[in-house]
Amino acid sequence: MRAFEFPDVEEDEIGRLGDDLSALGERFEAALASVDDGDALDALRLTFLGRNGEITALRRSIGTLPAAERPEAGKTINEAVARLEAQLERASSALTNRELAAQLDVAIDVTFPAPPARTGSIHPLRRTLEDACDYFQRRGFAVVLGDEIETEYYNFDALNIPADHPAREGFDTFYLANGKLLRPHTSPTQIRTMQQHPPPIAIVNPGKAYRRDAVDARHSYMFSQIEGLLVAPGIHLGHLKGMLTGLCRELFGPNQAVRFRPSFFPFTEPSAEVDTTCPGCGGSGKRGDAGCKTCGGSGWIEIGGSGMVHPDVLRECNYDPERVSGWAFGLGVERIAMVRYDVDDLRVFFENDPAVLAQLA
Amino acid sequence: MKLPIAWLRDYVDISLSSDEIAERLALLGFPVDAIERRPKLSGIVAGRLVKVEKHPNADRLSICTVGVAAGKPLTIVTAATNVAEGQTVPVATIGAKLVNLDIAPRAMRGVDSEGMLVSADEIGLEGAWFEDGILQLEPTVPPGTDFVKAYRLDDDVLDVEVTSNRVDAMSVVGLARELAAALGSVVRGPDTEVALTQGASQATTPDTSVTLESADCRRFVAQRFSNLTVRPSPFSMRLRLALAGQRPIDNLVDISNFVMLEIGQPLHFYDFDKLAERRLVVRDARPGEKMTTLDGEERTLDPSFLVIADGERAQCIAGLRGARDSEVSASTRELLLEAASFSGPRIRRMSLALGVRTDASTRHEKTLPLALGSLGASRAAHLLQREGATVAMPFAVGAPIEPPAPIRVSAQDAHRLLGMLVTGDEIQLALTGLGFSLERDGETFVATPPEWRNDLRIREDVIEEIGRVAGYDRIASAIPPVFDQAVSSAAYDGERRIARALAGVGYREAVTFALQPASVRETYERAGIPLPGEVVEVTNPLSEDQRYLRFSLLPALLGLVRRYEGDMPYRGFEIGHIFFGAPDPLETAAVAWVCAIRKVPDEPAWRDDGFLAFKSDSLAFARMLAGTDAVTVATRHGEFHPGKTASLSIHDEDVATIGAIDPRLLAAYGIQSAAYAGVMRLADLPAYRVPRFAERSKYPPVERDLALVVAPEIAAMDIESAVRAGADGVVASVRVFDEYRGPQVEAGKKSIAVRILLQRRDATLTDAEADGYIAAISASLQERCGAVLRS
Ligand SMILES: [Zn+2]
Repeated sequence: MRAFEFPDVEEDEIGRLGDDLSALGERFEAALASVDDGDALDALRLTFLGRNGEITALRRSIGTLPAAERPEAGKTINEAVARLEAQLERASSALTNRELAAQLDVAIDVTFPAPPARTGSIHPLRRTLEDACDYFQRRGFAVVLGDEIETEYYNFDALNIPADHPAREGFDTFYLANGKLLRPHTSPTQIRTMQQHPPPIAIVNPGKAYRRDAVDARHSYMFSQIEGLLVAPGIHLGHLKGMLTGLCRELFGPNQAVRFRPSFFPFTEPSAEVDTTCPGCGGSGKRGDAGCKTCGGSGWIEIGGSGMVHPDVLRECNYDPERVSGWAFGLGVERIAMVRYDVDDLRVFFENDPAVLAQLA
Repeated sequence: MKLPIAWLRDYVDISLSSDEIAERLALLGFPVDAIERRPKLSGIVAGRLVKVEKHPNADRLSICTVGVAAGKPLTIVTAATNVAEGQTVPVATIGAKLVNLDIAPRAMRGVDSEGMLVSADEIGLEGAWFEDGILQLEPTVPPGTDFVKAYRLDDDVLDVEVTSNRVDAMSVVGLARELAAALGSVVRGPDTEVALTQGASQATTPDTSVTLESADCRRFVAQRFSNLTVRPSPFSMRLRLALAGQRPIDNLVDISNFVMLEIGQPLHFYDFDKLAERRLVVRDARPGEKMTTLDGEERTLDPSFLVIADGERAQCIAGLRGARDSEVSASTRELLLEAASFSGPRIRRMSLALGVRTDASTRHEKTLPLALGSLGASRAAHLLQREGATVAMPFAVGAPIEPPAPIRVSAQDAHRLLGMLVTGDEIQLALTGLGFSLERDGETFVATPPEWRNDLRIREDVIEEIGRVAGYDRIASAIPPVFDQAVSSAAYDGERRIARALAGVGYREAVTFALQPASVRETYERAGIPLPGEVVEVTNPLSEDQRYLRFSLLPALLGLVRRYEGDMPYRGFEIGHIFFGAPDPLETAAVAWVCAIRKVPDEPAWRDDGFLAFKSDSLAFARMLAGTDAVTVATRHGEFHPGKTASLSIHDEDVATIGAIDPRLLAAYGIQSAAYAGVMRLADLPAYRVPRFAERSKYPPVERDLALVVAPEIAAMDIESAVRAGADGVVASVRVFDEYRGPQVEAGKKSIAVRILLQRRDATLTDAEADGYIAAISASLQERCGAVLRS
């Protein structure tokens, strides 16, 4: 019904609306040109397109037009609004781009020292021991621990070292008042495990051991060993060479070789010392023009002893040497760690200097 | 033992270098610890002193005319005083190279000297061990002989390690035999040829006897020698001894040492004329029996010592030391030789008791094979006869030499154990080379070990011999199959989890020594810190610093805190065994973790932010271990502050204790910082339980803070459980976040702030509902904790 209230609007009323819009457009563009941040842009939007803005005022004026012209006028205004909004949108994204570009336009000193992260670490000796145990665990070996206080039986007699055997002397054992001792090797754990479990058996038994050695660059009265034991039908020294070669490659690198040298241990027969390629010189015995200090120029480092478990030891554990055979080995963890970390004084490992532990972590 | 390659060549022809010989020995099981390089010498020949005259212009110089070969003799001026006409001496001719010395012509006080007469130092021998002056060679050496070549002076000396089972190889001949077997060459036996005394009956030696009264003397070979002349040994023998590290003395002592080093059988020589009743008895020493040994020390013996006595008194402590009474000396004309085999363990015990260890005792304590005695005696007889002695028939008492029992072995046996293929021919070659006698049937052998070996009893022993000689390098690598077995890795895996979890929360693992001085215990005692039990002592420590086993892991960690206090904060841990209790010590695998931080200045006594920070480390650690959050409850632990100690409880089991280190202990260790520690027995390590998923409520929570006034003994844990009890199932979280004591709160009370998050799982909580829950919570707090809400 309102349409009939304004029946006689002049044609030039539309033309005036067009003029108003173009003047508005010019003013808008002028204002937009000086906008240089988001707030000013929002203000501009409000001034022209806001609820109480100029466009709203023009829309209101449509009501004064004749009904027939109102749709045309509305369309004209909508077109103008779309133009303004497109311009605003362009300006807005230009502004955003400018701000992002400005953010990109700074550089920090990335070499500036960072505050220290709070990190912990496992000890290099444990890392070495775990790397070795991991290797064996992946191949079906169990890892067994044992007590450090032992009896003469488990430490000596069961290992074919009766009282007065000259080999006992080599162990330089600490004794306690109750006649027990601090184990000078981790082998008692092998006896205990064999006595508890019938064959087949595949274990590594790492742990600390003690001998009456003064502490110096190469010796310590307390040290760590990793021993291994595999007893099953058909086991021979070739299996030991295979496993130790794999172990040395795990610990020192892919090109390691293993060499056996005959030796004597009362609990193994045959017995062998285990050498591996010196990682310090790759087996050449030389570092640059000088002799390799790691291996003394031989190209090999000795890492432990090994052999086929003596039939007497098998029998002591109720294993039948006619039915099963097996090998055992014992490696010195400190020696291996010294070579791996290129440490030439093993006391470094017992000083526990946090800076060194961080360095070797 | 020192092995002069020059000596080795007496028994085996080797064309290898010193390094190659060392390598070969190592691969036979005799590692070479060091190669002593001999000096490079040249231009030295044997010369005969034709004429020795005083120098006309110098009292202390002599002019020697030296015949060195066909042709004109040399004129050589020397300052040595031991030169005389007729001597055969080494002569360095012009151009010769000696140790640090090249020989050039020179005039000495107006006389041109055409070379130099040589003394020990100049060829790299220990001067004090040889003539004071010019070396004296055997008169049989023809003038002009190349001295270096004839005496193999350019051969190095190897320091060889011999394992304790191979006493037979603690000798030049033994090692020569090993090398010969490995190289496939022939070993020459030492010359033992001797012409026995004519006339007197050779079957017995009527004027002496040896009686064995102890079974610890297994066999005793005795032999008499007469018409002795004591004098220096020939140079070749002195040279060999010196290279082997043995000082030459005179021909008798030297022969005794020479035979021991060469054959491995220690000998003892008695001056026969000084033996009471001219007989020997091997027996236990009498209680309090005294004997003065060669070194002049009077020893008081007891029956634990085995002695060789004459008719009256002990003349030798078996295998260890002779008596001065019957020692051979320059006046010795007749001697009685002893080549015995004793019980090794007995000799070893005696050696330890006496504090004496000699080249002889190290051999005796390995129980010498019986056959070595006769061999040693006959070699000595040969050498003594060469020195002009009259040799009587040897005789032996004790056990007869029985050949070792034969051992059956096959190529298949060797393959089964060594994992390498060895042919029957190779076995034959290897075992024959080592002195076995063999019966062969195809690939199977009955092998009888040589009589000088006492380490070959079972098949595996023989297989080792085959492998050694064939070479362990032929063993092919193989990977064994995986076997099904029931052995558990749980303890190790537990240690591994703990170490990784503590490293994960920022702690660094330490490894410290398990033996400690008494001061550790004393420090605890002085500080009033209880010990967990009797401290365990080592009966034979190396030093007082290493006498006691650690009873706790904390002292060493506190030592590290003090030492590295500058690197604040210190966070460390150790996994290790601790020991306490008597008479049978308890051994416990444990872990301790320590954090030391700077003290917060002006922190009120009832507050300890350091403890809370440490607690959060410990909770994170426990969470990693258990997969469940631990609960803390106040408790006590000897090394911790009595009011700042909590147990960590997981699944209602106390698994660890954490706390502030007792300030008395900190003071005792001189630690300035605040320090906290946790301790756990590895046996208490909780099992890891896989956490269960709980879906988060989709509905928004309502957060309310309450301020409460409570009695000071009300713990945060009490408040939290009272809150939960007040609105069971709706309390999504509750956290006490502030505590205050002081003038703002009434005396004897503390103020607590608690933040509560209420949330329903099935609907949005309205404000009215929340108010209702808070009212119920307040009532619960009032009832359970006596808490009064502050407005
Ligand atoms: Zn090297």
